[in-house]
Amino acid sequence: MAVRSREKQTLFLLVVGLLSWLVPGAGHLVLKEKERAIIIFVTILLTFCVGIYIGSIGVINLYGSTPWYVVGAQVMNSPMVLLLGRITAHNAYPVYGWPNEIGQIYTSTAGLLNLLCIVNAVYLAYVRGIEPARG
Amino acid sequence: MSMEAIFVIASFTVPENFGPNPQSMLWLLPLVAAIAIIYKATKLPTIKAGNFIKETSLLFGSIIVFIIIAALSLHALAWMITG
Repeated sequence: MAVRSREKQTLFLLVVGLLSWLVPGAGHLVLKEKERAIIIFVTILLTFCVGIYIGSIGVINLYGSTPWYVVGAQVMNSPMVLLLGRITAHNAYPVYGWPNEIGQIYTSTAGLLNLLCIVNAVYLAYVRGIEPARG
Repeated sequence: MSMEAIFVIASFTVPENFGPNPQSMLWLLPLVAAIAIIYKATKLPTIKAGNFIKETSLLFGSIIVFIIIAALSLHALAWMITG
């Protein structure tokens, strides 16, 4: 019985992590943290949008010469970035210089912030799993 | 789809045109704001509007002050080395 509940707990943590990655803030929404979820969703979406506004969608260059750590950070925003990467493949939207750098900094920082939120959501789910629910 | 929506979408396919001038350093501010907001959203035990804004503003201010101090120190160091 204890093993089963531990399996359920692990599955729940995985679902929370995946949801947080799919849509920023969704993991917190599942944990009934509505305000946190809205703040996270709006802030990460805005940061990402500012990045692709400055540098165009060309800053999502998954198959080009962009360093792997920038690509990794950008993908942490959401799997939707992978779809965007297919649109911009083969240098379809070329962008160079300062706008490219600022755009990459914004989009990858948004991704890293979402990674922080994913870890936080999973941690909250874990803590609530071993502690009595509040309220 | 309306013309406004098409223009908004089209603006995401062409990069902005600016170079490494002092004004472009202001792009730092929204990024620092985003970092402060997300950090405090994950750290505060409860989210209350007043407290959240206060904490976020404090962190935002601290980061900006630290960046200014670091920039001034590096500028002074570069000035001392290059004369």
